[in-house]
Amino acid sequence: MDGLVLLGSSAVSYATGALAPGDDSGRAGLFRPVAVVVRGADAPHLFTPFWDGVPPDLPEDHLHGPLFPDLDDGIEHLTQALGELFSPGARLGVDDQPHAVLRNPAGFEWVDAGSVMSPVKLRKTPDEVACIRTAQRINELAMVEAQAILRPGVRQTELSAAFLRHLFALGASAGSIDPIWQVMAPTKDVGPWTSHGDLAYPTATTDRFLREGDVIWVDVGILYEGYASDYGRTWITSAGPVPSEQQASQFRRWRTVVDTVLDICKPGVSALQLGRAAIEANGGERPWIEHFYLAHGVGTDSAEMPLIGTDLGEAFDERQVMEPGMVLVLEPVIWEEGASGYRSEDIVAVTDTGWVALSGSSYEPFEVTA
Amino acid sequence: MRPRDQGVLVGTMALEEGARVDFTRLRKDRRERVFEGMEADNLDALILGRIGDVRYTSGARQLWRAGVNPFAAVCVAVRETGRVHLLSVWDEGIPPEIANEDLYPMFWNPGNLLQAVGAIPGLGQAERVGTDGLTPMFGQVLPALFPGGELVDGSPAMARARSSKTTDEITCITVAAAIAEAGLSALEQALVPGVTERELLGVYEECVARLGAPNPASESAAFATAARGPVRFRYLATDRPVGEGELVVLSPGALYAGYEASLARTRLSSGPAPRGAEALAERCWRGLDALVGACRAGNTGADLRRAWESTGERLPSVVLAHGLGLGVEPPVIGLGRGDGAVLQEDAVLCVQSWVTAEGTGGVLERAVVRVGADGPEVLTRVGRFAP
Repeated sequence: MDGLVLLGSSAVSYATGALAPGDDSGRAGLFRPVAVVVRGADAPHLFTPFWDGVPPDLPEDHLHGPLFPDLDDGIEHLTQALGELFSPGARLGVDDQPHAVLRNPAGFEWVDAGSVMSPVKLRKTPDEVACIRTAQRINELAMVEAQAILRPGVRQTELSAAFLRHLFALGASAGSIDPIWQVMAPTKDVGPWTSHGDLAYPTATTDRFLREGDVIWVDVGILYEGYASDYGRTWITSAGPVPSEQQASQFRRWRTVVDTVLDICKPGVSALQLGRAAIEANGGERPWIEHFYLAHGVGTDSAEMPLIGTDLGEAFDERQVMEPGMVLVLEPVIWEEGASGYRSEDIVAVTDTGWVALSGSSYEPFEVTA
Repeated sequence: MRPRDQGVLVGTMALEEGARVDFTRLRKDRRERVFEGMEADNLDALILGRIGDVRYTSGARQLWRAGVNPFAAVCVAVRETGRVHLLSVWDEGIPPEIANEDLYPMFWNPGNLLQAVGAIPGLGQAERVGTDGLTPMFGQVLPALFPGGELVDGSPAMARARSSKTTDEITCITVAAAIAEAGLSALEQALVPGVTERELLGVYEECVARLGAPNPASESAAFATAARGPVRFRYLATDRPVGEGELVVLSPGALYAGYEASLARTRLSSGPAPRGAEALAERCWRGLDALVGACRAGNTGADLRRAWESTGERLPSVVLAHGLGLGVEPPVIGLGRGDGAVLQEDAVLCVQSWVTAEGTGGVLERAVVRVGADGPEVLTRVGRFAP
């Protein structure tokens, strides 16, 4: 490839370090920052309206105004900008193609940027790991405020309000997803219909009132300097929540699955081995939801490689071998028909000899030390 | 017909007599417009990936995410069957006109996704298939799903459908405006010297979330303008405490059922106003009045630009206007774009006036305007800044 033209939020963030506000997708699309990487060059070019999110080390002549690549109107600006950096017919990796980009008057050969971006994002540098850890810490602290108001009569959106109130003062760079407070029905049958018959998760937040004893699977993510956190826990709605013996045993089973996976997690172990260990620890039953995974990576995307246990298949998982710098969000699901289930997320980074935890909050109202 | 105050519509709770937004009608109207657009542009199918287009066509309430992801085949409309298909594993948030068999699940393996999309009835016979974007991967594999057919630009059909708003859509935007106004009120109350922009952003997000709109239209909700030196528009909240006698831009937005309203007012943090603040505020309002006045059906983006220039102000570093609906939509008017855009009746625009003076600061005022048959109608309220 002669270069990359990156339009998606996470790819631009990765390639340039530029910050952008966490805006609704319509706004984020039309006013999107664009990163252009020229092969062999020392720095990327950044086209952005958000001049105050530009990293201080970006050379001044690499910073440009917004390109509006979604608009046919002003397509000549786009053509000119790319024409100054690449020869006609250049082979360019691109991650997204609005129709104005597809008009392509310079006859560029567009290829998928994923073959470059996916491998380079796989292993995190120590600085990237530090950003994920910081994002997670901010996220965990803001969730303390939400959990503090959880009781019957609280709306899901009020939990969002309590969380969002503190997020930015704690240092978050941006929000990234609708905070999820999904009430889990006791059986799959009475939950939402699904195409695969397994659980529906995660569903969108509403102004639903929470009721005594509601089991809620929370899942929230924020960004710190472009890096995502991923906080998942199981909460019980009550002024003084005490898990039943069955709920406590679900938690212990979840803990056993995570511990079993972490016991063997180190460089050289394949995703397939980790997935099989999790299934074995759960009595032979796959402890994750059909459309998801035992674990996913996290970085400038909230879910990125490695993915363990997806429909990409066992051969794919066997080829995914743990390496230092890979980050895993372990999110097994323990489900008991009739008694709902337990789900949490723990984050680790693979080190030279094993792993190090990046998440650190308690599992309240379950055992505080787990 | 006797004009009637519509205030009872401004709420988010369902009323037993059904007085508020009729979402069944809203979705039906939107869907009809999409299929009319397909008819007009001779599109046999649409494959959509942009969140606004997907929501407009499907009416589904799906998980909100900030930022923009690359195109993917998330929603498929087929003209021959009149059906809309959607990528969703479950039926929660899916309107009743989309049956379970019209849903196709998410996959991590693109081959599996392609197989699911390929099984959509009628798609295989399509000759002209519009998309609202592509990726090299989708560009390569989608045509195999309709042998002999071609991929074309479906975005003009979507843009036409979305540009002029139904009465129900206007009501949604009005509800969003009322929520944004509440956000402004919360920001004003929290605006005291020493508060940081980060704290202000939290106050705003808490307020709109408590009203049921937990996902902000934008996180650019508050910034103090520089009382000394060059004044620049800022987008990202900082830790800097607001000082005394500073002009602070408060720009909350809100989303209701996906529909956006955004407004902005500039307020003084405390104490005596910086010298020249009054004149600056007057300049700002002249600019906004000129822009609002130009929001007439048939006018172009160039008319808005000329209306701005007629006030004697230089073109600002931000856009003069952009479309609003399910989030921000085209046109974008300003920064060298949008001169040729024609304003349709019942389009909704966000217009903004940003003026600065070194040694004083900056003043931003932003309003939501419906391009009405009888002229512009401002949908956002709240008092003007007069230091």
